[in-house]
Amino acid sequence: MMMKTTFKITKICTLVLVMILSFTSCTEDLDITPLDDQTLLGEDFFKNETAYKELLGGVYANLSLTGIDGPGSSTIQGLDAGTSQFGRVLMYLQTLSADQMIWSYENDPGTREIQRNIWTAQNPLLTGMFGRTHNTISYANNFLRETTDAKLEARNVSSSTRTEIKTYRAEARLLRAMSYYYMMDIFGKAAFITEDDAINSLPKQYDRAQLFTFVESELKEIDADLKDPMQNEHARADKAVAWMILAKIYLNAEVYTGNERYTDCLTYTEKIIGGGFSLASEYGHNFMADNNTNSATNEIIFPLISDGIFTHNYGPTTVMINGEVGSLEANGAALGVGAGGWGGALRLRKQFVQLFDGATFSTDARNTIISGSRNIEITDISDRDTGYILTKWSNATSTGGVGSNETFVDTDFPLFRLADVYLMYAEAHLRGGGGTAAIAAGYLSDLRTRANNTNTISSGDLSLNLILDERSRELHWEAHRRQDLIRFGKFTGGSYNWAWKGNGSNGISLPSHFDVYPIPSSSLASNPNLTQNTGY
Amino acid sequence: MLSSLSMFAQQTLTGIVRDLTAGENLPGVNVVVKGTTNGTSTDFDGKFQLKNIKTGDVLVFSYLGYLNKEVTIDINFNITVNLTEDSQKLDEVVIIGYGTTTLKDATGSVEAITAKDFTKGNIVTPENLLSGRVAGVNITTSGAPGSGSQITIRGGSSLGASNAPLIVIDGLPIDNNGTAGSRGILANINPNDIESFSILKDASATAIYGSRASNGVIIIVTKKGKNEFTLDYDTQYSFGKVTDRVDVFSADEYRAFVNSQPISGTTLDTSLLGTANTNWQDEILQSTLSTQHNFTVKGSILNKIPTRVSLGFSNQEGAILTSQFNRVNFSLAMNPTFFKDHLKIGLNYNRAHEDSRFAAGGIGAALRYDPTHPVRVPGTPYGGYYQHYTTTTDGFVLSNGTTNPVASILQSTNTGNVFRQYGNLNLDYKFHFLPELKAVLNLGFDKTEGTYNNVSSLYGPRSWNTDVNGNDSSGSQNRENKLLDGYLNYTKTFNDIKTDLTAGYSYQKFTNAGFNGRNLRDPNGISDAYAATDVVLIGYFGRANFTFLEKYLLTLSYRRDGTSRFSEENRWGNFPAAAFAWRISDEDFLKDSKVISELKLRASYGITGQQDIPNNEIYLSTYRFGNTNSRYIFGGNPIQSTIPQAINPDIKWEETATLEFGLDYGLFDNKFTGSIGVFQKNSTDLLFNAPVADGSNFTNSIVQNIGELEVKGLEFTLNTDIIKNDDTNWNLNFNATYLDRKIKKLALGQDVTTGGVAGGTGNTVQLFREGFAPNSFYVYKQLYDTAGNPIEGAYLDRTGDGIINGEDRYLKESPGADVTLGMQSSFSYKNFDIAFNLRASIGNYNYNNVNSSQAQLSLLQDNAVLGNIPTSVLDTNFKVTSDVILSDMYIENASFLKMDNITLGYTFDRPFKAFTTNSVRLWAGVQNVFTLTNYSGLDPEVFNGIDNLIFPRSRTFLLGANIKF
Repeated sequence: MMMKTTFKITKICTLVLVMILSFTSCTEDLDITPLDDQTLLGEDFFKNETAYKELLGGVYANLSLTGIDGPGSSTIQGLDAGTSQFGRVLMYLQTLSADQMIWSYENDPGTREIQRNIWTAQNPLLTGMFGRTHNTISYANNFLRETTDAKLEARNVSSSTRTEIKTYRAEARLLRAMSYYYMMDIFGKAAFITEDDAINSLPKQYDRAQLFTFVESELKEIDADLKDPMQNEHARADKAVAWMILAKIYLNAEVYTGNERYTDCLTYTEKIIGGGFSLASEYGHNFMADNNTNSATNEIIFPLISDGIFTHNYGPTTVMINGEVGSLEANGAALGVGAGGWGGALRLRKQFVQLFDGATFSTDARNTIISGSRNIEITDISDRDTGYILTKWSNATSTGGVGSNETFVDTDFPLFRLADVYLMYAEAHLRGGGGTAAIAAGYLSDLRTRANNTNTISSGDLSLNLILDERSRELHWEAHRRQDLIRFGKFTGGSYNWAWKGNGSNGISLPSHFDVYPIPSSSLASNPNLTQNTGY
Repeated sequence: MLSSLSMFAQQTLTGIVRDLTAGENLPGVNVVVKGTTNGTSTDFDGKFQLKNIKTGDVLVFSYLGYLNKEVTIDINFNITVNLTEDSQKLDEVVIIGYGTTTLKDATGSVEAITAKDFTKGNIVTPENLLSGRVAGVNITTSGAPGSGSQITIRGGSSLGASNAPLIVIDGLPIDNNGTAGSRGILANINPNDIESFSILKDASATAIYGSRASNGVIIIVTKKGKNEFTLDYDTQYSFGKVTDRVDVFSADEYRAFVNSQPISGTTLDTSLLGTANTNWQDEILQSTLSTQHNFTVKGSILNKIPTRVSLGFSNQEGAILTSQFNRVNFSLAMNPTFFKDHLKIGLNYNRAHEDSRFAAGGIGAALRYDPTHPVRVPGTPYGGYYQHYTTTTDGFVLSNGTTNPVASILQSTNTGNVFRQYGNLNLDYKFHFLPELKAVLNLGFDKTEGTYNNVSSLYGPRSWNTDVNGNDSSGSQNRENKLLDGYLNYTKTFNDIKTDLTAGYSYQKFTNAGFNGRNLRDPNGISDAYAATDVVLIGYFGRANFTFLEKYLLTLSYRRDGTSRFSEENRWGNFPAAAFAWRISDEDFLKDSKVISELKLRASYGITGQQDIPNNEIYLSTYRFGNTNSRYIFGGNPIQSTIPQAINPDIKWEETATLEFGLDYGLFDNKFTGSIGVFQKNSTDLLFNAPVADGSNFTNSIVQNIGELEVKGLEFTLNTDIIKNDDTNWNLNFNATYLDRKIKKLALGQDVTTGGVAGGTGNTVQLFREGFAPNSFYVYKQLYDTAGNPIEGAYLDRTGDGIINGEDRYLKESPGADVTLGMQSSFSYKNFDIAFNLRASIGNYNYNNVNSSQAQLSLLQDNAVLGNIPTSVLDTNFKVTSDVILSDMYIENASFLKMDNITLGYTFDRPFKAFTTNSVRLWAGVQNVFTLTNYSGLDPEVFNGIDNLIFPRSRTFLLGANIKF
């Protein structure tokens, strides 16, 4: 019995010893490393020289994706993924708030307030926009921090990669400047922070004047390092994108700073036009599933990517294509999505439809309006059978096929395209920026001709009102309208009222402070340097 | 002559010592002839033998936890002695961190609850055993069967890091995080296997656990092996029913109401009304039948190893249709000793299999759905369930709005399956050459493997923005926790000073990995395997106990903990503690007092730490690249887009310093015992997921050390045996806790919004602000008209600037109670016993999110269909949710008094004559007996104060039997 017990004890002791050894106390165990197959320690990530392009890809990806774990994931906490997708929220804030579109499902967070112009600082779409855009800024800053000469030296990066990195850095700075441009336009303020500031440090506030100065100087500084127009890979920014943003801020300079810069605007539109772009052979090509390969590649200056296989997102094109399918018409199949689409989520406000009235526009390719038996008046927003619809956007290809996925479309969103530049030239000219009326009229006529509309424009026809209307006909549903109306003084005030403006079914005047959106209350709460806009 | 001679003859006495109530023989009982050294102790079977005994000798029997008994020997030299348990628990052994003490010697704030004190009733999970029983311990359970609870001790110490106490099972601190498919971390422990709980509340008691101990520690000890053979069978059957409903319109009332339109300006489409009468809450709630069976066998294997084996089966139905929880537990405990008790080995092994079905839906949809339509309509394209839909040329399209709640539940099968094993091997070796020194080694593990499976019917309703037909996905998760603890303990008395020194080392590692399968019905779905970064905790600890003259006690402890969650500079935390106790009742001036039988003054101060945040590597600079569907495309080629993860390199320990004074008392020969305690806890560097400035980090909110929290409190406990004699026993326990929680400091003095609510978009209704209780409600002040009716959307303009905006909100009350009370009483007369437990909470407020987000007339329109709303809307006639959701009229006083349990039992003593000892107790009881409250919602007990429909709690009737052999 004693032997057996001793044997048992020895067995137990050995077992215990083995267990102790397997649990060996190493305080080194406290130095953990990520175990997930998709997460890497910074130092391990940069061991591979492909990291830099991948990191740049991450900065760009923030323009289309809300997170990297599928379309439902979001790096902005506390919001549905859909309320912080950059392009979609840009589209809501610039288009839905004006006279071109209306959204049927007002239970969707934030949409009711935006489309009826009754928004407050608590609106989740504003929180999403502010947060998402500042994310691009922080990713760009991080990219710049990790690609300084000192860091690249220390990591022994090859000289060929270092040359490429110069261009990458310019592109990151461009995306950062573009983000500040949108903040200047939408909120009139931004939290200003660069790669020289430490992570987690408190950004200071820049108002419109300061943002204008920064964006202008930044874009000019990086010009030399950017690739020439149309010489970079598809989806990556080049000199033309920088010139486009400059042209935009100069066009709107009176709104942003009180001083006009139309001459500079005209100069840059000329530079873009001289960069080798040309109009797509058909208007519709710009808005189809293959607009990354069809003739639209000549016209689109900067796209936001969407793809049914690789870039799933509830972005502007996914929303607009699924949304424009009519509740009565169920015409989704031809548009490359499910037959019923989203049951009539998006319809047109009357004022927009009226821009295409008359014989002048009956054959215009830009007129994709379907009226059917519908009532043009929308008295009840939730009644999806009222109001006309359109079929501008499509997930079908120019060769008769359809996109790879019925829900997540292949159609890229053209943030900037040549047609816009033509219109900007004409407007800058009319506002005294130089150029000639003949050229301006010629550009507008080109747009009409391209749209199979034989009614061309002569110098005598040119007027600012024509420009405003023509911009709507050409660029509707492309996130420009609010900016245009503000520049023309027609967004707030009562000079132009559209259906449901200010929550009145025929539109009522908006107070002038509504020309900028309020800073989201959560952003104010987390940064004491930010102050709320007047009137909110 | 002969008899008087025999009276003085020395003989050998044999006997057996037993426990009167438990019916067990007691080993190790001291038997000594009074006034001599002639003594022995009882063996494994409770038997003893003493030589040289003569008639007239007085034998003294003493045993820890039992009242001493003196027996005068008459002519019988073979005796049976019955000892009764000492209900004054001061000599009871109490488990503390890495050791034991007795309540008598405890310097810290410790409460021990053993099996006989446990709350009786429908006990499914271990927390139920403590409900309302211990001052300062608050347990909020969900109504879902087998579900986990929120436990807080003294209000917790954190804002954002876990407020949950550290739970240690047989020396193994367990992971506070749940596993996929499981209902909660304590859900698979059979309460029947639990021997005792030790609740450590103050810093001195908890500091030895260092990290994770800021919120208190609950030590669970499972039942051990015994030598004597016993067999127990416990069974219970329970029948439950939810009796409360939220008041919404009935079908007839609804039809009348809608037809009486226009209702404040809006016109509803009356053609959407149906002709049926459905009470949707009744339709989704069910009466429940639940059963439990537990078998326990104790005995000695090979006559050497005391063993306990138990097997338990539990089947619980939930109040909502399809909700189900089944568990099978197996537990093994072996406690052999070797080398004359020099080596004690404890082996515990537990296994649990848990099977749950989770109801895919809740009361929310039942409140909302139009009552004028039936549950089922034969021939609908939705599997025969009624849904609102329109037929188009292409087929049928679901109308936008709430969907049939019965269909949601019955057309989904969401199940979870958990297999858990945990156990430990404890070696306790008293050195042969130096018996004052002992070495303890504890190896423990806890492994949970969970899987879940969610499948919905192909005929379920599909919403407007998706082509995917329902859900068919499954996944798994594995959590593992390994522990190695070792310590040396030295006890010796030097002159008058009893010394007890302990020093040790602890290593613990947590791993977690899993897999979330894609939705098989979604061609875009992606599966994802994930692995969390390991968490490693290493600690060095030491404690010294000094007892001078048995009256003055001093405890000093120190622990140094390192965690893998923080960077090297911030990784190590130091947690010292000191406690002093003075047994005043042992002083000469009180020793013979008739009134005060027990008086001990305690003072303690200590620092504990907290590092339990959901992120395991937030201080590291890490990058993450996307799934195959989350890539950008350059030049037609997808690129593995990589983004930097949110980072906080400076994250460090949250520390809580606790100062406590306590008085343990016993009056009138310990007829009344209890304690009074006053304490203050200051937590600094609170870990909290707080908003971070846009652009400064890679997200908008990150865990940071942001502030200071102060908790002050007062605890009072009273135990009394009002009547105690052979036939009758009446025992009462009363405890009261007063808590005052206040945020002292927040980063940059900035408020932090919290407490998201349903209804409207992105609204929050609570706030952290310096100087106020955490989670205080942040609302507008409602204005009323002269008749006392609230005016919709009219709030007081507190800033007087003409605009109603965020600055006009104010802080009103908070969800934390000011005072919580608990009372438990048990009464027994001969073979009858009755017990009940009451709990009260005073000063806790709730935000009635049901009324605030649903009682508005515009909600009669539910997107494209009609929807039901609470009848409380008639009190206010409010129209639009967003106008009223942040009003202070929805903050209600939710103070309550609840009786959790009342049970009545009857014990048959030895009903089976064939066996020497046995007993059968039959009992009946009610659980969730009554709730008294002024709160208008369904249940005042809502953990965070935001009442958005908790899982309904049933009232349950129980019948059970405890059979012991």
